[in-house]
Amino acid sequence: MSTAGPPPPSRLDPEPVPRRDILGLAAMFSAAAASFFALVGMLRMPKAAVLSSPSKRFKAILPDNLQAGEAFVPPGRSVALFRDGEGVYAISTVCTHLGCIIKPAQDGFECPCHGSRFTGDGSVKRGPAPRALPWLKVSHTGGNWIVDEGAPVPPGTKVQA
Amino acid sequence: MPKNKYLLLASSLGVLALLMVSAVQENFLKEWRKIQSVGMSDEGSIDVRLRQVINPGLRVTDRCVSCHVTMGAGEGSVRGAKVLVAHKAVVHDPTEYGCTVCHGGQGLATEKADAHGDVHFWPEPMLPARYSYAGCGTCHAPLNVPNSESYRRAVAAFERLDCYACHRVEGKGGTIRPDGSGMEGPDLSRAGLAGYDRAWYSRHLSKMETAPLKAWKASFAPVTEADQQLLGVYLSTCVGASKLVEAKSAFHTAGCLGCHKVSGVGGDSGPDLSRAGEKDPALADFAHVNGPATLANWQAEHLRSPLSIVTGSQMPSLGLDDRDIDQLVFYTLSLRRREVQGNYVPKDRMRAQRFGEREFSSDGGTVYGTFCAGCHGLAGSGIRSPGLASFPSIANPDLLERVSDQFLEDTIRHGRPGRRMPAWGDIASGLKLDEIRSVIGYLRVLSGAGHKPESAAARWVKGDPAAGKALFASTCAGCHGASGEGAEAPALNNQVLLNSATDTYLVETIGRGRRGTVMQGFVDPSPARRTLSPHEIESVVAFVRTWEKKGKP
Amino acid sequence: MTPVSPPPESLHEFLENLKAAPRHIYETAFRSGKPATDRSRSTFIFGNVFLHLHSVRTHRWTLRWSTTMGLGIITTSAFLITLITGVMLMFYYKPFPEAAYDSMKDIHFVVPTGRFMRNIHRWAANVMVLAVILHMARAFFTASYRKPREYNWLIGLGLLVVTLGLSFTGYLLPWDQLAYWAITIGANIAQSPREVTDALGITQYFDPGGLQKLLLLGSDVVGPEALIRFYLLHVMILPLALAALMGVHFWRIRKDGGLARPADADKRLGPPPAGTCPIFTEAPQRTYHLAAVVRGKTPAVNNGPENTVPAMPHLFYAELGVFMLTVLICLALALVSDAPLKELANPNIPENPAKAPWYFLGLQELVSFSAFMGGIGVPAIVLLGLGLIPYLDRETEGTGEWFGGPGGWPLVRRSILLGLGSTLLVETLVIRFGWLREWFPTIPQLIITAVNPATILTTIYALYSLWLIRKYRSTRAGALGLFTCFLCGFLVLTIIGTYFRGPNWVFYWSPGDWPKH
Repeated sequence: MSTAGPPPPSRLDPEPVPRRDILGLAAMFSAAAASFFALVGMLRMPKAAVLSSPSKRFKAILPDNLQAGEAFVPPGRSVALFRDGEGVYAISTVCTHLGCIIKPAQDGFECPCHGSRFTGDGSVKRGPAPRALPWLKVSHTGGNWIVDEGAPVPPGTKVQA
Repeated sequence: MPKNKYLLLASSLGVLALLMVSAVQENFLKEWRKIQSVGMSDEGSIDVRLRQVINPGLRVTDRCVSCHVTMGAGEGSVRGAKVLVAHKAVVHDPTEYGCTVCHGGQGLATEKADAHGDVHFWPEPMLPARYSYAGCGTCHAPLNVPNSESYRRAVAAFERLDCYACHRVEGKGGTIRPDGSGMEGPDLSRAGLAGYDRAWYSRHLSKMETAPLKAWKASFAPVTEADQQLLGVYLSTCVGASKLVEAKSAFHTAGCLGCHKVSGVGGDSGPDLSRAGEKDPALADFAHVNGPATLANWQAEHLRSPLSIVTGSQMPSLGLDDRDIDQLVFYTLSLRRREVQGNYVPKDRMRAQRFGEREFSSDGGTVYGTFCAGCHGLAGSGIRSPGLASFPSIANPDLLERVSDQFLEDTIRHGRPGRRMPAWGDIASGLKLDEIRSVIGYLRVLSGAGHKPESAAARWVKGDPAAGKALFASTCAGCHGASGEGAEAPALNNQVLLNSATDTYLVETIGRGRRGTVMQGFVDPSPARRTLSPHEIESVVAFVRTWEKKGKP
Repeated sequence: MTPVSPPPESLHEFLENLKAAPRHIYETAFRSGKPATDRSRSTFIFGNVFLHLHSVRTHRWTLRWSTTMGLGIITTSAFLITLITGVMLMFYYKPFPEAAYDSMKDIHFVVPTGRFMRNIHRWAANVMVLAVILHMARAFFTASYRKPREYNWLIGLGLLVVTLGLSFTGYLLPWDQLAYWAITIGANIAQSPREVTDALGITQYFDPGGLQKLLLLGSDVVGPEALIRFYLLHVMILPLALAALMGVHFWRIRKDGGLARPADADKRLGPPPAGTCPIFTEAPQRTYHLAAVVRGKTPAVNNGPENTVPAMPHLFYAELGVFMLTVLICLALALVSDAPLKELANPNIPENPAKAPWYFLGLQELVSFSAFMGGIGVPAIVLLGLGLIPYLDRETEGTGEWFGGPGGWPLVRRSILLGLGSTLLVETLVIRFGWLREWFPTIPQLIITAVNPATILTTIYALYSLWLIRKYRSTRAGALGLFTCFLCGFLVLTIIGTYFRGPNWVFYWSPGDWPKH
């Protein structure tokens, strides 16, 4: 065939270097960006914005006849409140071993789960517990005692009315 | 294919843009974020996050505190906007009870309109501020509340006797001891609920002995018996919600329980009102209601003129003034309920539900005002409404002189079967015998008419029933119905009436009539209607007696 | 024997390997390399477990927007969107009556992006139902169900039913008044065979209606059992069924040689664009990778392969583009319109009118005349009819062409008029004058079941279709007419059911005329 045009491109020939496909690249890039942002937005969703458990900060009303060294545990809370001459203080009653709720005892605290014992100021007397019980923040505002279970303070912090 | 690439590019950019819009909305444009961002506490600006009060015992999850921050648990005071301030001092701590138990509204919401319940599809909008104390009715049922008059006199007595000098009630009155060791006398705000020393007067008397100064002596005693009783009434109503109690006393004056039930007590003619305060405004008919489409307004318009609002209503127009209507609306809004767990059930509700204690006080005036006044009128003179059966005048001397207390007791106990008067003694939701008797005593006092005993036998009439029939048809049937079934006037063929009425009663009533009502005596001549001779009257009575079935009803 | 390397060199090799590890991880994961040659483009597809459902090359006719309008991809995209947003919602939704409604409120008010997610979910679900119906219409009107694609049409019908089931089961989950009463109606429609068995007096022996309702609700009323059942169907059983059927559906497309095309598609397409390599070279060095040598013709043999382009990138741009467009539409709708949430479900206060979801409102309109016919009869007839189409129409004229076949667009146009007109006429008569029970109060129920607007319209369409078959001597013509009539009837009935029916299913010109309680 004498008047045949140039032979059709063959897969055996090396491929011509393609011109950069700006449009395609831009399209894929924006698609990727959109997907990324969508993913980021979706990943936020499982993190709950509010917890369905009662607030960690709560108001406590101490009984008038609370003796020095006697523990007062507000119902439903894992905190023991004390009042003595120097003020009011709060010690967490969550065992530092594995999280059981401990009971105030004669001279401190006792954990029923693995037998840890703590003194009256929370330090470990005996048992598998690795650390002392944290002291929690107590404040006195507007005539009320506010305890914050989520705010530990140095042991020995006592607050006057 | 470039077309598809353009499509992908354009769509992706569009998606990105919309995601940005959503991100901005979510993180910056929420109402509660904007409000909290201006909040400042003692420790600097507050942490911007969602806040809520949770109380499983009351089934409460209230997010109101996301905007009303200081009302939340464990918050110090936050300044910066009016909405952030603390709740005023109230009996129940909002950080424990939440907000919706008392105020209504939608606790789960975090936007103002939704949270206040002012949206479609939320059936319980927030109570208007002036009716806030109606929220107490969600759990509480104040007991032994008297009618308005007694309540006002009790309140006045407390003031008049200057009890406020030493005792504080709802923030008013009371004195601090000179040595600063507390108040002179106990705070009586909740004496009715928490209880008080019943021997207080003898205590006062002994204090009078030991008081150092003459001025002090006089402030403790003497208090008359009558005033002591008034004070007792007052103290039993001190529950920390005087506005609610006042509204309830209005309810115990207008006679609503005569037709309506509340908490299982009352009549059956009208709907049960136990949860009338929770009615969904979207389900109410506002076609003829002037003013806003709120529940409070519907109730007010309905009380003003029931038949205009509810077609076919059997409720008479009570002629209430604006103040009465406001009080009754207040009380009706308090008729609501929420299931609460164990230790949150208040003592008054427990006493009412389990032990049958009454929410109204037992004096005759209050029982009358609670059950009877709605039909028989505030002064016992009856009500006539066009188109409805009329309700008789019962504090009428012409009636009360001619009947014994037994007649009245039978009438109230067994009612008028087939007519509007319920059998108050026979139904579970009705009255106890001593309450019925106190009403009778009250009626006697109201009318000033004691029973004039009659000497004749119960049945002595010997008339001609046939003649009586003709006379009845021409003279009486127009009001009393062709067979005495009653139309505008009472039913005469009623078995309870016929069994308890003596012949003298019937003869005298026909002859002398009832003053102040349409029933005029037929003995005296009158241009308006036919006069009957005594013999004719006896014939009519004999005819009426033919309707009587022997034996007790 | 391997010589033991002295310590410094083995450490050197270890460090080299460690440094090259990221690149090697990438290379071992993505083995086909950049899709820059035809061969690597092919490998890109068939070497990937997710992508190899596609065929390696796509016909250019398929990629034209006017061939398919992208409806199949829109449907799939909408499904993916509902799947993803649905899974996110599952983090917070609680499927128990006492918690469901409150969990919906939580999602709306406090869950981060919860409101947006729920709105997207609801709009994507609606887009999916609409798209699947339009996709079916497209496949029908282009006669794409013809040999060898008959079975795929049936799979598609299965997908339609499962899609409607997904939408219906999801409808109950919010547990509000809308949900509760819509499903109460749906369950009673499931019970509607009782209309016939009661009339025949055989219900105590043979009660398929009662059985259907019991299976659906797990009880005799809509309650906790129904909710958990619907939840199970909605999040597990039906999505798995859909995914399985989708797998078959796409596989079948591939095995059937791609989408249906007109016989002269190649001619009409014109020459391929410059730079497109031919599939077969003048001196083939290799053949395709074949899993096995099989007897028979491959679909590509009689058609011009020159008009195929590599699926990577052409088909993928098309699919991604349509996917993003669907996402865009769903996001936009979600931003402007909230998903409904009415009051908490209250069994004591029926919604009036209680309306089914929009795609069932046409049926609900028919149900108002006869529960059995509207709920079971007509849907069964329609599904049966649709399923038989590829087996009754064995012609070949017009495959792949819009409105292909004898009659063409003019026939369809006339059928639209007839479909709309006859439905409007019958509806007007019924709305204005009522139906048999108003005129003959004691008429037996079976007569009404047999003679009512649903059966009348079905009969009209069927007679028209038979007339068309005779006139054009073509089953396809009859099918064109019948399908168009049903589509128009569905449209009219849905519009009437949505906008013109008020409390007690009485006809009102506008919601403003509805009586207040």
